[in-house]
Amino acid sequence: MVAVFGASLLFGLVAGPIGAALLDKEPFIPVPEVELAPPRLLSIGAFHVTNTLVSAWLTTVLVLLLFVGGTRKMKVIPGRLQSVLEMLVEALYGFISGVVGERFARPFFPILATIFIFIAFNAWMALIPVYQVLTLEVDGHATHVLRSAGTDINMPLALAIVAFVFIEVWGFKVHKIGYLKEFFRFKSPIEFFIGILELISHFIRLVSFTFRLFGNMLAGEIILLMITFLLIFTAPLAFYMLELLVGGVQALVFTGLTLVFALLAVAPHVGEHEEHDEKAAH
Amino acid sequence: MEEGLKFLGVGLAGLGLAGAGVGLGILGNGAMNALGRNPEAKDAIVPNMILALAFTEAIGIYGLVTAILLIFVA
Repeated sequence: MVAVFGASLLFGLVAGPIGAALLDKEPFIPVPEVELAPPRLLSIGAFHVTNTLVSAWLTTVLVLLLFVGGTRKMKVIPGRLQSVLEMLVEALYGFISGVVGERFARPFFPILATIFIFIAFNAWMALIPVYQVLTLEVDGHATHVLRSAGTDINMPLALAIVAFVFIEVWGFKVHKIGYLKEFFRFKSPIEFFIGILELISHFIRLVSFTFRLFGNMLAGEIILLMITFLLIFTAPLAFYMLELLVGGVQALVFTGLTLVFALLAVAPHVGEHEEHDEKAAH
Repeated sequence: MEEGLKFLGVGLAGLGLAGAGVGLGILGNGAMNALGRNPEAKDAIVPNMILALAFTEAIGIYGLVTAILLIFVA
């Protein structure tokens, strides 16, 4: 075990850029290329199929298969897969009902659990080495077929819009038209100004949701590429563990923030205390 | 010259991460103090700490995204 680890460490040192610099040669491993905009695989009219889109579809299909397969023949005494899925769903439900209480936990659960499972599975699946290896010849140069959807800004933006609409719709559903009183206050000039700030802060959430997820996923991808280049086989192990954690934490944070904002939207307007909490959240 | 200025900008954008680092340290300090004083409150402290860590980290991530965009796009 130690011998294998030592040999891989030595190989990484020699084959990577460190060895190349010492031996005055070209690095054995090609320098990784980082692409920000996902390359197109296929164009149907104005609709471009990018590799991040393919990975989002793949995640959707695999999660669907996993859950349908795990719960198709449900038993009172669950099998292995069914009990794992039950544990996941129960943990998520416990988290949500712990924050918003039983009344809103049921209507909130489906969309929040979907967001969590999609982000987490998408991030975790991108750690399977297949993602970095599978390439396809498109327009004369090799293109990766799969890339984590979180590294394309469109996916976090789409999820942020979903979360935003979800929060505002629930605000209107509970307070009816009175929800607008939160933003347009005419009691005093200061109150008016606070209302406008509140309105802006709701839209700023779109930006902060998007960039939090996008930045974390993209930074993770770039770090993995660079560390693999720097010290292949051994060093990436630790960073893969880190990325496993980051994927779960980011999914939890996205879900948790949507949950907290939705709770603030449906909570009765009690005044200054809650507004202060919300401002502190940014 | 312009290339050099670009990378100077990247470095300055990365400098923003220092603030996030300080913030994370303060948060960790607070959470550890709270855990030390009241270990039974772990269930209440840890999720809130992670949420707060994520908020703080997001500020650093903005700087990181700016730096990455500068390197690869500008």
